[in-house]
Amino acid sequence: MTSERSAASAPVQPTPVGARQRYSFELPAFWLLVGLLAVGAWQLGKVFGAAFQQFPMASAVAAVLFGLYAVPFVIFARSVDFLEKEPAALVATAAAWGGLVATTTAIAGNGAVRDLLAKEVSPAFATTWGPAIAAPFIEEILKTLGVVIVVLIARRQINSVLDGAVYGAFVGLGFQVVEDFIYAVNAVGIAGRGDQAGPVIVTFFLRGFLAGLWSHTLFSALAGAGVAYFVVRRNRSRSRRLTVAILAVAGAMAFHFIWNSPLLADGFGYGAWGILLALLIKGIPALLLIYLLVRAARGQEADFYLGELAALADPNIATPRELAVLRTGSKRMAARRYAYARCGRPGRTAVRDLQRAQAKLAVDISRGGENYEACRNQVLAVRAKLIAFGHPDATTPPGHRRNPWGVVIGVATAAVVAILVAVAINALGGR
Amino acid sequence: MGLGAKRLLLNLLAGIAVVTTVAVIGIGLPAINDAIPAARPAPAGRYSVGAGVSIVPPPGAGLDATKTRPGPLNGTALFVLGSVRYAVVVTPFDGTLAQAAERLRAKISANAGYQVIGGKRPIRTTSGVLGQEGAYSSPGRDGRYAVFLANGLDAEVTVAGNGVELHDVMPVVQASIMTLSFGKEPQ
Repeated sequence: MTSERSAASAPVQPTPVGARQRYSFELPAFWLLVGLLAVGAWQLGKVFGAAFQQFPMASAVAAVLFGLYAVPFVIFARSVDFLEKEPAALVATAAAWGGLVATTTAIAGNGAVRDLLAKEVSPAFATTWGPAIAAPFIEEILKTLGVVIVVLIARRQINSVLDGAVYGAFVGLGFQVVEDFIYAVNAVGIAGRGDQAGPVIVTFFLRGFLAGLWSHTLFSALAGAGVAYFVVRRNRSRSRRLTVAILAVAGAMAFHFIWNSPLLADGFGYGAWGILLALLIKGIPALLLIYLLVRAARGQEADFYLGELAALADPNIATPRELAVLRTGSKRMAARRYAYARCGRPGRTAVRDLQRAQAKLAVDISRGGENYEACRNQVLAVRAKLIAFGHPDATTPPGHRRNPWGVVIGVATAAVVAILVAVAINALGGR
Repeated sequence: MGLGAKRLLLNLLAGIAVVTTVAVIGIGLPAINDAIPAARPAPAGRYSVGAGVSIVPPPGAGLDATKTRPGPLNGTALFVLGSVRYAVVVTPFDGTLAQAAERLRAKISANAGYQVIGGKRPIRTTSGVLGQEGAYSSPGRDGRYAVFLANGLDAEVTVAGNGVELHDVMPVVQASIMTLSFGKEPQ
């Protein structure tokens, strides 16, 4: 079975037949990447070593908290990437670039730019505007290079704009986790009360919850989407692709500039709650724009891969309702919950396995159907299980609507987080 | 040149471009920064360290722009007189003067080879703010410290230099420390 849909004009360019991971090892860029990662790891090792030596308990708490903080981001990003999951090795490479290369280089670069601003303008200007000028320029370039390096070592794995956003998000996540660890340990030093976990926890709420929602992960996702647009949309002119890529990176820099700028730093004069409101005003536009971008990119990818299954016109492989369910994570979870309600845990597991097998089959078809029979048989085997359970159609319940309690719980959680963050802001003296 | 070799060459060139960009940011920018001196003549008159705390620098002192960071809630200023380093650090602090002084002594002692020597003495600025002062030693250098507390702020002063040079400038530095103010001063 071969795909008839992978034309050069499609927004999704599947990985060609015969592409292999080991081919990356033959590329010079791969070995340059290895070198940069080694240097970054060595540099970061020195930073971590000094932190653990000076504040062992606080450093351990910071490592655990920010390590755990990454877990929901990983789960969410992998859920967005459900239909055509990026190889774990490449995702880990992107995160490693962010955490090892981008952070250590940014420390040196940011410090130099801020010092230059202090020398050439004034120390007051460097203090106020330095973070808004240095970090967006230095850090977004370095993080974007993480997506570029993924393109250089595994070009054929960048199949859509969504793929670029995913790799960008993981670069940003790696950067964020390491940066937050460093900030947390610095906060312990500034507090001057010895090896205490208090400043780490305050930093966790401030930088982890508040800044984390619309920070490095989002900015890099935007830049990564631009890089992927340049790579994937070869039906467009080179100048248009380059313009879009540059605008995406510039957009990431602009959002980062707004986030770091001293604008609204006084919180309208209303203390911690005013500062919290100001942070929301600065962060929500970026969150909204990038959410809409990722949603559109995910829709394009879903259209492509689900179209492969629809073209089979075989209800044993995928019914029209199942195809609709596969499009979003919330519907996939709703289908699994429905199966659990009707058939218990085995039913939920079977629906999950069916969804994964359907996605795997769709990707295989797009790549020329190298393993078509095996993938098809896998779908049919799980289908047989579902039929035996009396739950042949892995869809949401009839008349399914978004669960209102989900919204209530979400709003309540956001309110609790906001209160905790406001307390953290107060604990840090309103900054 | 075959297609495979051409692709490898392009891949190599692109990889080198990535490495070069990283090197420019991580090595080039710091090198440019290091080539430009950090010291500037300290502004005449009262200098705002941060959080409303100000001080009159010693005559002829330079200001290290890279170690000086004035802010609304805290601040740092580093003045230089020859090889003598005269630093003022202002941070929020909700303890007592004794606790602030102990914190500063602990920070000094935490550095390898540094040792607080002699006792502590009370000191009062010309605006009436009470503080504590003392001395410390470090490898090849002598030092003086002072700490003041007012309005929920802790101002830590450290002065370090080689013995002779420190002795020579200490009178003007001491006079500067006495001008430390935690609020607006008439000019």
